[in-house]
Amino acid sequence: MKSKLLEHLAGIAFVTFALLAALWVITIASGTAQRKQQAGMERFGDLSFIDFNNPFERALLRDVINIYYPGRSDRNDSLYNAIVKYKQKEFADKLQETHVAEGLSLQKIIEILGMYVNFFIIFVLVMVLTYYGVQTMAVFRFAYKKRRALSPASSASRKIQRMVIDFLAGLGTLLLFCPAYVIAYSIRTEFNTDTVVFMVLLGVISNGVLITYANKFYSFLVAESRKGYVDTAIVKNMNAGYRFHSADGIPISSILNPVKKFKGHVFDHIFRNARFQYLSTIKEQASFLITGLIIIEMALNIHGHLNYEMLRQLLYKNYSIVVVMILLIFYTVKMTDIFTDYLIHRENMKYENTNQ
Amino acid sequence: MMKFIRSKDTRWLSIWVLSTLAVWIWDIVFLNKPALHKVFNGFFNTFIIAILVVVFTLILGWMVTVLLHALQSRTNRAPYLAVTFLMNLIRSIPQIVGILFAYVGITLLVAGSVITSKALVFIIMAISMSLFIFLELVDLMRDRIDHFTKLDFYSAMRVCGIPERRVVNFDILWKNSRLHIQNKLIAVLGYAVFLQCSVDFIISVGLSTEVNEVTLPTTLGSLLAKIDSKQDILAIGYTLTHPGYTGHLFFEHLQGMTVAFLIVFSLVSIYHIANGYAERHRL
Repeated sequence: MKSKLLEHLAGIAFVTFALLAALWVITIASGTAQRKQQAGMERFGDLSFIDFNNPFERALLRDVINIYYPGRSDRNDSLYNAIVKYKQKEFADKLQETHVAEGLSLQKIIEILGMYVNFFIIFVLVMVLTYYGVQTMAVFRFAYKKRRALSPASSASRKIQRMVIDFLAGLGTLLLFCPAYVIAYSIRTEFNTDTVVFMVLLGVISNGVLITYANKFYSFLVAESRKGYVDTAIVKNMNAGYRFHSADGIPISSILNPVKKFKGHVFDHIFRNARFQYLSTIKEQASFLITGLIIIEMALNIHGHLNYEMLRQLLYKNYSIVVVMILLIFYTVKMTDIFTDYLIHRENMKYENTNQ
Repeated sequence: MMKFIRSKDTRWLSIWVLSTLAVWIWDIVFLNKPALHKVFNGFFNTFIIAILVVVFTLILGWMVTVLLHALQSRTNRAPYLAVTFLMNLIRSIPQIVGILFAYVGITLLVAGSVITSKALVFIIMAISMSLFIFLELVDLMRDRIDHFTKLDFYSAMRVCGIPERRVVNFDILWKNSRLHIQNKLIAVLGYAVFLQCSVDFIISVGLSTEVNEVTLPTTLGSLLAKIDSKQDILAIGYTLTHPGYTGHLFFEHLQGMTVAFLIVFSLVSIYHIANGYAERHRL
């Protein structure tokens, strides 16, 4: 665990250093560009005292140039025009940049941190719900398939019932695979899609996160159920039925319970072993989830959210702000990695009974 | 024929191809020509890029796996640690962020006329996407190598004087892991389609649409972001409260409906093909 923690911390330090270096380069580069732009005006001397919006002061400038360079009216006219044109451009640029150009001030950092806290809370909520959803869906599917294998449909009504269930499951799969923006735009006219609740819901059900990892968990369950210890446990009379309402089966309440326990049933061991394998995929799932949340915030243009703001700042070329936002997202991924490694380490300690 | 249909992967492959063909026929009849042309281009470009991503993922994945295996057995561990450290760093960057920045870079290069060839744009897009996907393949290949190096046949082959590179490349990866790699590559195809569509949608909605149109090839994602497609998708919401409007979706809102269907149905089909392939070969 120590070596892993060290590796994570080294990664955090490396990326922080690299991005801060990038921030420094960006600041220097924009300063140089600004100085280059100002250099054009410097050759005319210090004209900051002149109000170029005032026609009298403009006329005064023209007279001064004519007095300074007597008998060269053509050259003086072009010089005067160049100064006025430069000032007009400078004014227009400033006006254009007023709404879009932003620096990294303390106020901006506080604003970004506020958005980040919001993003982090949504991420944790979606992660917890997905963790629950993945296990519940996989266990339900496993139990359902087992039931189906043990009691094949004999009557026509049973066959129709199963076909209907399969059809609904197919429709559900189609929905779960929809990218977030397809779902959101489909219902945007009827529902307010800019709420946090909707974002959390969309994060859980869209982009294929839930179905992909539920399928992974299901394959872990299937692989575990084929192992020898399961047969041994069945021979030793552990409960092995998969009906929802029978004494030796799996009650629905146990499947829906956030802390899943199936006491006295062989499935309890299958589930615990499968969950241990699933822990190692949480890192991957978290990264996929963050990708999904970024897609949701960016694609739906949800104002005031971290990733939409990042896209906006990228468009306005405020790279210093973008760098800070990327750094925060990177820290979130790393925090999840460290937490997952800790969970795996704790589980390992439980089974191996060592102090590695 | 029955065997072909009974296998989940081939069955879903047929369903995917036939459904896509049915949608094309419907579109040829009912969708106007310019929109049809755009949808066809978008579909074609999306899958060309996704297939290129698969190819580059395979090349990158194989190269890095072999490199890591060679570095791992060295006494000097520093290069191995450096490469794994770099890989973990790439893993820590959410794919969408990495790809988004790569695409913005490509847009700037194209806008600045540094890249002029369309084929080159496709290749660079595919490489930048595979950079954030290939790690999954590396993990799989390394797991396979680790598994086989623990078995007797590895030591036996080494004792027989067979070079390690042949054992790893040919006997482990090609002969004994080909099916696993193929299964992963099918999944990568689906993931590439998803990421491609998402990034293009984000760029088209969030960044300048005009720049995107000029610089990046049309894909299903960028087509969906167009205002006419978005209005078509919004019509689905209207149908939820006005079911009588359903019929109009398949005639008046065909562009958006086709694009959304092609994205979602392709993702579902590829998912089922990958699962079916794994089931058929007991992976």
